[in-house]
Amino acid sequence: MSLSQRLKADFSTLTLALIAVAIVLNIVLGQVVSLLKLPIFLDSIGTVIVALLAGPWAGGLTGLLTNLIWGLISDPVAAAFAPVAMVIGIVAGLLAKAGLFKKWWQAIISGVIIAVVLSIIAIPIRVFMFGGVTGSGADFITAYLLATGRDLFSAVLITVIGDNIIDKVVTALLAWAIVKGLPRRFTGRFPRASAVID
Amino acid sequence: MIRYSLYVPGDTWLHRLHPLTKLSFSLAAAVIIFGGPGGWLAALLPGLLALLALWRAGLFRQAARTGVRLLAPVTVMLFLIHGFFSPQNQTTLLRLGPFAIGQEGVAYAGLIAVRLAAVLAGSLLLVFSTHPGELVQALTNAGVPHGLSYLLGSPLLLLPQMAGRVQVIQAAQQARGLETGGTLPRRVRALFPLVAPLVFSALLDVEERSLALEVRGFSAPGPRTSLREQPDTPGQRVARRALFVLAGLLLAAGVALRVYGRH
Repeated sequence: MSLSQRLKADFSTLTLALIAVAIVLNIVLGQVVSLLKLPIFLDSIGTVIVALLAGPWAGGLTGLLTNLIWGLISDPVAAAFAPVAMVIGIVAGLLAKAGLFKKWWQAIISGVIIAVVLSIIAIPIRVFMFGGVTGSGADFITAYLLATGRDLFSAVLITVIGDNIIDKVVTALLAWAIVKGLPRRFTGRFPRASAVID
Repeated sequence: MIRYSLYVPGDTWLHRLHPLTKLSFSLAAAVIIFGGPGGWLAALLPGLLALLALWRAGLFRQAARTGVRLLAPVTVMLFLIHGFFSPQNQTTLLRLGPFAIGQEGVAYAGLIAVRLAAVLAGSLLLVFSTHPGELVQALTNAGVPHGLSYLLGSPLLLLPQMAGRVQVIQAAQQARGLETGGTLPRRVRALFPLVAPLVFSALLDVEERSLALEVRGFSAPGPRTSLREQPDTPGQRVARRALFVLAGLLLAAGVALRVYGRH
């Protein structure tokens, strides 16, 4: 298949409608879980679901557009992290393609891998644009690490991974459970979903 | 609360500018602020220009309020972390018990804070005075593929609908006795019943949505006609090109200075 044919297959009307819904899920679900006061934000669960159903490129696009739209409607700062959100989708899609999203324990491993890879993209943005600071409670960890003599890069690295690892593991597990729980009639329309389902 | 838009309705000169002109300014400002040569100056000038435009359009107060809401926590942490703990600190400004505030850290925190405020001012100029739908339409007219502009536009319409559904699900689950407070295991157990119904119902809508799009010629080839016209002027077209050229030149100068300037 040529590249344009593959793109067309990856971005059918059905996939585009899926991405649009997933973007809204990303934005809305943070609100739902804030009720539970858990240390998670779930703002990439739609991205991971798209990645599992429709592949890394659709997943990456979902993440990228989520943050751009977020920047447009509520917080321009979110747009700066659009590349990070994109990488989450791409990595999740590649992991699914590699067969690392078939079992629940694989989803946990994938969540850890996603958290580590996203940090590689997030750290330069945090350090160069934001001076290593986010304005959340996680900054106290950065402050502590700096005070104990680490440089800014490694202090932010530890903070970012620590901050993301629980969230991405929970996100990967939920996305895996949701894709497994969807009716076959639905998942059957996404050829790439077979890498997750059986 | 989920916000659906930062748009402030109005009919000022800033509102009447073509969306792409404002977008070009925001993007050029961001490139110059982070990539241009001159540190403080590269950040201050575009920022002040954006604030001036916001002020002339009567949006300064809203901009200040949004700026404080979004940037106050970051700024406080910046000065605390770099003032006290920056590894670059050599000169002591002030001593507080066992901790010292260093001049280098404070200067660095100040530069980052000014940059962030300037970039934010540049983007608020766009989002305050442009309805998100107008921006999406301008991008479509400029040649962005319509699949992509669907992805930018349709979430804006879906969002209020889905937020309504969130409240219904929360109320329904609480009515049947789901506990959202208490110990950590109990709250973790409440996660799936809150998330799953929303995700499942939203995903199962997808098929219907794509059918509705298909029967309306969504994937048909060829150009689209748009109902609303967006006034554009030759002056604005020139200004947009000039902004891109300026940003490109300053970025090149900034990169060159960073690479060769340290000898």
